[in-house]
Amino acid sequence: MSQNLISIKSVTKSFTKGKTTITPLENLSLEVPRTEFLSLMGPSGSGKTTLLNLIAGIDSPTSGQIIIDGTDISTLSRAQLTKWRASHVGYIFQLYHLVPILSAYENVELPLLLGNFSKSERKKKILAALDLVGLSDRADHRPSELSGGQEQRVAIARAIVHDPELLVADEPTGDLDRESADSILNLLNTLAKEHGKTIVMVTHDPKASAAAHRALQLEKGQFSSEGNLLNTH
Amino acid sequence: MKLLILALKNLTRNRLRSLLTILGVAAGMFLYSSVQTMQHSLTIATEGNAVDTTLIVYRENRFCPMTSRLPEHYMPTIKRIEGVREVIPIQIAVNNCGASLDVITFRGVPPERLRKYNPNIKVIEGSYEQFVKQTDAALVGQHFAERRGLSAGSKFEAVGVNVTVAGIISSDSPQDENVAYVHLPFLQQASKLGLGIVTQFNVKVESADLLDSIASKIDETFKSDQQPTNTRPEKAFFADTAKQMIELIGFTRWLGLGAVFAVLGLVANAVLLIVRGRVKETAILQTLGFSRLAIGLMVVFEGILLGLVGGLIGVIGAMAFFHYKSFTLGNEGLTLALAPSTSVTLTGLGVAVALGLLASLYPAWKATSRPLVQSLSS
Repeated sequence: MSQNLISIKSVTKSFTKGKTTITPLENLSLEVPRTEFLSLMGPSGSGKTTLLNLIAGIDSPTSGQIIIDGTDISTLSRAQLTKWRASHVGYIFQLYHLVPILSAYENVELPLLLGNFSKSERKKKILAALDLVGLSDRADHRPSELSGGQEQRVAIARAIVHDPELLVADEPTGDLDRESADSILNLLNTLAKEHGKTIVMVTHDPKASAAAHRALQLEKGQFSSEGNLLNTH
Repeated sequence: MKLLILALKNLTRNRLRSLLTILGVAAGMFLYSSVQTMQHSLTIATEGNAVDTTLIVYRENRFCPMTSRLPEHYMPTIKRIEGVREVIPIQIAVNNCGASLDVITFRGVPPERLRKYNPNIKVIEGSYEQFVKQTDAALVGQHFAERRGLSAGSKFEAVGVNVTVAGIISSDSPQDENVAYVHLPFLQQASKLGLGIVTQFNVKVESADLLDSIASKIDETFKSDQQPTNTRPEKAFFADTAKQMIELIGFTRWLGLGAVFAVLGLVANAVLLIVRGRVKETAILQTLGFSRLAIGLMVVFEGILLGLVGGLIGVIGAMAFFHYKSFTLGNEGLTLALAPSTSVTLTGLGVAVALGLLASLYPAWKATSRPLVQSLSS
């Protein structure tokens, strides 16, 4: 087993908007070791969300290779990527994006509906995930009955319930107050440290970035600086 | 199953919109089923088959019971024709010779011959013996009785004829369900036509193959008589006599088609709105690993559920409506009972589900065809 979970080799992503070709990422390479909590920072349009989407298998590169846990996902079709995502990635969104008509329990259950789990197996996994994020007592609550921080915790439980090795988070604290944001960052750190998850997080918030093991700065599709900000995490 | 549950939950999200769509579908399917009921009833009344062995002997060039007059003594002559199994003279009195939704038809028949002529008649209330015994007694068709609220022992008056209901009958012949059988001499006297005159003869022949040849023989027999006849199979007679009614019902086919298109448009619009309102959520589900097929199926299930629930309400509503209202279209003494049928109900449900499916195909494609990144950033 390779030490790196993510290996990005000379990736370029470009697309056409009207008559203009935009290249948010150009010839970019990156290695992310297993269990690392990596933060990607940069101004708007720097390409950090594009990179996150490529790592999560939501988008495909124009050229280059993205190897995740030994699989070159840049060669997978849209249908293959969907299947791959279902078992390998947990995605955490800035605005949580829970399904409003479903309870916290049912929202967390969603990724498990894609697998062949019995009802009791699903229940066990869901309760474990909710317990991990500290929301066992909110299982029956709908998103509208939860605070922003709690909604994000449910979203994290949904991202980890099927036990993916890779978690990608797009501004996970962007919509939260400081206290809730710190709590979420602690949770992400715990997931990396104690549960062996590799986390790639996009953020604008230097404090959030400081919580990661390593922070990378992106500008115009290129890494501009790299730092081991808080190795103690 | 899991997708079906998700689709069901999604429909409860915007209850008012779902309810309005379901009501629209129900109204459309009610109209469709009503039209189909009329068409189906008409088909049963006019399409002949191997089981139909009845001929109607009418006065030539007369199309209304008021003007068709034949001597009762034609009966033994007709009976003697080879292939004729049974003959019954019938005097008809109607309250309205034209097209009507509430036609009352009396059929005067020799009481002792009715059961022999038509063994399929079942007395479901009252007694046949009472009918034979009592001069002013009537055996009333089930449909007729329901429509007029009659039961055994009731008395009623129509067309200047006062009768007492001796029994309620049911029969596999739609015409029997909508008439009141009375004694022939009683009706001849009550309608002031006088004894010995009848409106028509109903003739049962040995087999359906003989219908045309025996009809020709009967007409040939009385060709030179003072009262020449025109003999046709019962269903052809109905189809010919009730042309206007048939044309009117034929026109309703377009209403049914209109209802189908209205339901199609309504469900398609509702599902498209649902899909448009959930672009991001659909993208989230895809991000979680739900395939395009799964997302598409979920949208299709929502369309089918809307069609099915609306269809159930509309189709069963139409069935109950026709059952309780007991509509009968009458024209020139012939009646067409607009009776609900299981086949129409099942077809209606099938059409509702098919429309739900068809209407949601485009929205389903629309929901899954957009690039994921684009949907996520919308």
